[in-house]
Amino acid sequence: MNLAGFLLAEGSEDAACAWCQSYPCLASLSCWGIVAGALGLLLMLPGGWKRGRYLGVLLGCAGLGLLAADLPWFGDLAHQVFFWLLAGTALVAAVIAISVRSPIYTAIWFAISLLGVAGLFLYQEAPFLGVVTIAVYAGAIVVTFLFVLMLAQPAGHTVYDRVSWGWLPKPFAVIAAAALTGLMTFAVASLPSTAPIPTADPIAGDTATSGAPDHMANLGNTLFGTHLVSVEVAGTLLLVALVGAIAIVIHGKQPQLPNQGVEGARNDE
Amino acid sequence: MKTDDPEITWVEEPELGLAGKMYLPMFAQGLTTTFKHLKNSVAGKTVTVSYPEQEPQIDAPLIYRGVHRLNKDEQGRVKCVACFLCATACPAHCIDIIGVESPWEDREKYPESFTIDELRCIYCGMCEEACPVDAIELTSLYNLTGRSREEMVFDKEKLLSVFDETKDREPMQSAGLGGSP
Amino acid sequence: MTAIILEALIKIALLIGGLMTAAAYFVLLERRIAAWIQDRRGPNRVGMPLTKLRLFGLGQPLADGVKFIFKEEYTPAHVNKVLFVAAPILILAAALAAFAVIPFGSMIPPDWFGRTEPIKLVVAPGVDVGMIYVFALSSIAVYGVILGGWASNNKYSFLGGLRSSAQLIAYEVPLGLGILAVVVAAGSLDLEAIIHAQTTQGWCFLLQPLGFLVFVVAAFAEAARLPFDLPECEQELVGGYHTEYSGIKLLLFLVAEFLHMITASFLIVILFMGGWHLPWGLTGDPAAESIGWVPAIVRIVALAVKIIAVIVFFMVVRWSWPRFRFDQLMALAWKVMLPLGVVNFVVMATVEQFGGSLSTGVKMAIGWGTFVLSWVAIAAAGPLIADNRARHDLHPSQIDSQV
Repeated sequence: MNLAGFLLAEGSEDAACAWCQSYPCLASLSCWGIVAGALGLLLMLPGGWKRGRYLGVLLGCAGLGLLAADLPWFGDLAHQVFFWLLAGTALVAAVIAISVRSPIYTAIWFAISLLGVAGLFLYQEAPFLGVVTIAVYAGAIVVTFLFVLMLAQPAGHTVYDRVSWGWLPKPFAVIAAAALTGLMTFAVASLPSTAPIPTADPIAGDTATSGAPDHMANLGNTLFGTHLVSVEVAGTLLLVALVGAIAIVIHGKQPQLPNQGVEGARNDE
Repeated sequence: MKTDDPEITWVEEPELGLAGKMYLPMFAQGLTTTFKHLKNSVAGKTVTVSYPEQEPQIDAPLIYRGVHRLNKDEQGRVKCVACFLCATACPAHCIDIIGVESPWEDREKYPESFTIDELRCIYCGMCEEACPVDAIELTSLYNLTGRSREEMVFDKEKLLSVFDETKDREPMQSAGLGGSP
Repeated sequence: MTAIILEALIKIALLIGGLMTAAAYFVLLERRIAAWIQDRRGPNRVGMPLTKLRLFGLGQPLADGVKFIFKEEYTPAHVNKVLFVAAPILILAAALAAFAVIPFGSMIPPDWFGRTEPIKLVVAPGVDVGMIYVFALSSIAVYGVILGGWASNNKYSFLGGLRSSAQLIAYEVPLGLGILAVVVAAGSLDLEAIIHAQTTQGWCFLLQPLGFLVFVVAAFAEAARLPFDLPECEQELVGGYHTEYSGIKLLLFLVAEFLHMITASFLIVILFMGGWHLPWGLTGDPAAESIGWVPAIVRIVALAVKIIAVIVFFMVVRWSWPRFRFDQLMALAWKVMLPLGVVNFVVMATVEQFGGSLSTGVKMAIGWGTFVLSWVAIAAAGPLIADNRARHDLHPSQIDSQV
């Protein structure tokens, strides 16, 4: 059951505005939710109007509420609460990740957001994906980010931080994010309307057991059967990137001066 | 001295053999040693003692540096001649002597008071080495305790009583180590 | 539903209580073993409170715990308070949560409340991705270390945190490679399924000695035990990432470290040493769905004995081997353990694919042959990282580039 549809059911008959009918997406709550969220995000990004951040938080919450109102209702309160806890964690943490100033906190909030995403995967009966998200993303990649950030930026902010917080890049970034979210929302909404209601009970721990062996075997077959070429290409790309990184490191070494031999080194000591 | 000084002989470590390069044989060797100690200790062969119940065995009491004593000669007089050599040698300045004219024929002075602050003392044994008449010595008493700072400042009577207490166990070092009596 | 939750809660309570007690007593065991190896006696005084009973020092963990709790919990002014407090909580939570899928016994008969199915001694039974779950949680624990080090705002803590993150990330690769062949042989990531597979195929450390070696070395590094305790080596970094911590926060770090070691021991026993099974059918029919009380208890005891043996090995190794230098540590991970893990996986996967009809003896011969050959090859190809000597033929800048 669609809450938004329920709310709009009365007004839809006398929807006078013509362009609402020609562009039906504008009539949905999600659309306005995304717009409000985008505006809120724009205000929340660092390097701007300081008081505006509170307004941004308000707008962001409003956008989230509008989006939530437009989503299908699961019918079961426990499921609803679980889903929104996890999804809310992922979304809010992601927004905080890009709106805090310290890059360290960005990485930490990104990791929390990933935990939320992993929880959603577990909730959707994809335990492998959920656990791998934690192990690979949160466990390895973000830790590497943290490692580099802690080494690279002990204090202050670099030029590229200030560039990305400038007046020009911020709106474009926000528009891109809003467009992506909007497209995905409507693409998903236009799918056959079978709401992905979880069948297993997450509290009982049955999520993992219900047909799980098939799940992993299917995943393996899909990855290394249907999409073998893509996987191999992606792997090759990563390998090339790795080799390139090593090449850059070796190339960047200072060439050794000819007169600094072994004896010179010993004398210096 | 610079590192290229001709007087320096550079010693190279020997090359590792295959066992060393393979690491695991060396590891097994180390583990064997560790297990040997573990086995011995579990069997009760430890080098430490359970102190309050069990007194530690001091292997060489004559050269152990514990509480001081002032030695007495055959007639029961203090051997010290108040020459101040020990007080001069003491790096911690813990010896305080008041020397007065001796009532005896065989020496000019003797200590009217002789105090050692056992808390300042670093038990280096320099006083013992400096003494020309082997009057001050360090005993093997190791468990020196007291309830106040004043109590730990040993006067002449206390130091002489330490001699009475330890003379049977520890002969005077001049005798024990082969010096003149 | 309520029964399931109740059962899970009881198991969690048992597990956490047992683990905390075990960690406390392993600290005592570690101190006693350290003392014995150094020809000392170790802590043997503290016995039962309010009595004169000494009980071989068994009261020591209690005294230690009380001491930690009542010590001043000092938070320095220069730290990042939120992360400073969050780090120890995070690391302990991750260390405990990893035990959700690790079985601490096989199962016990259903004698209560008219149950018909045996009760499995694992908090979340039948998790198909159990192995990866443990990996995920152990990688979450890295956050505790790195954030604790960073939040302390102290150069020793910070260096400890950096070292530890680099070390843990590097050794996750051989850790994963080491178990890959086991998982292929068992056909499952479920820890119980892996134990069950070993009863028919033979224990994995006999069949895949190379994988066992790679896994054990990586497990030592992941648990930050000597000879890989660089994150907190006292001689260089004071206390490493927990230099600034005191009181109960320090206790949380220390307990988490012991829990990592216990996790590693559980994994070594479960993946490579047949879990709770003993040879010659001493632990009952492994394929049976039900179980009597005697084999159930024998299985728990067998598992516990194996784990304690592995932990004692951890503790003895601590006093047998000097610590690695950091470049040696990295060289060991990337230049030795990674290739060995790949070799092991390729050989074992080939055997699995084409050698299904081979007898166990032949498989074992292949495993040990691979082990000896590849180990000798890698030792001959370059000095393993055992060679500590200064390179006089190189300029310092060249040495840097080699590191």
